[in-house]
Amino acid sequence: MELNTIGLIAAASTFLGVWFGHVAVRKVEFISLTLWLPTGTFTIVGIILEWFSLSTASLSFSVLFGILGLTFLFDALEFTRQQNRIKKGHAPANPNNPRHARLLVEYASASTIDLLKRGPVGKPVSHKEAIRLIIEHL
Amino acid sequence: MNFFGLTLGFLTLFIIGLGFIWVIRGERYFGYLWWPYVMGSGILLMMSSLFIPNIWVSALLGAFGASLIWGSTELKEQAIRAEVGWYPFHAKKILPPFAKIIEKWKAPHL
Repeated sequence: MELNTIGLIAAASTFLGVWFGHVAVRKVEFISLTLWLPTGTFTIVGIILEWFSLSTASLSFSVLFGILGLTFLFDALEFTRQQNRIKKGHAPANPNNPRHARLLVEYASASTIDLLKRGPVGKPVSHKEAIRLIIEHL
Repeated sequence: MNFFGLTLGFLTLFIIGLGFIWVIRGERYFGYLWWPYVMGSGILLMMSSLFIPNIWVSALLGAFGASLIWGSTELKEQAIRAEVGWYPFHAKKILPPFAKIIEKWKAPHL
């Protein structure tokens, strides 16, 4: 029986696309002075990848570029969503980034602490407790 | 023009979107300790796609398998998000078999 590798290629593209996007959006948004530059860059890369996907006769490359391209286009939108997480304090702000420093002044909920950097404790915790757990985890 | 990849890209985005929903709901009612089972299911689905001759079914199965693997690595953080009140917290969770053993393992996060 001949193996059909198209599913494996789709799986690898999906996993790598989501993984790269997840890490890149957080890291780039953390240091970028503007949102439009990474948003624009990811949009252009996404469109180019989709163009490759549409142009190739190979099913494997079409899937690889098709999935990766769309995850890049989705990541372009994620930069704005990530900034909203910073405003709410759901992701840590970078005080050395002037854009984030402004958010820290404008939004009382914004914080430099990453409240997710610990293990679960199995019960709801107050904001004060959450910070204590983070410090203990360090 | 080869629309195979673009169409699959949109279908994959939909599958990833579903991932957001099941990670949130799944963690709420079942807890993050199910992660090895979710990851194992994802690997099984991904491997089974090799034996499906139809390219659409094989590709969708692969993408779904990958989204399960990814989701399994998100469950632990989702548990913390619920604990700090960003999502509703549900105390009575249906724990997986061998939960006590899994608790001792370091849950993956990427």
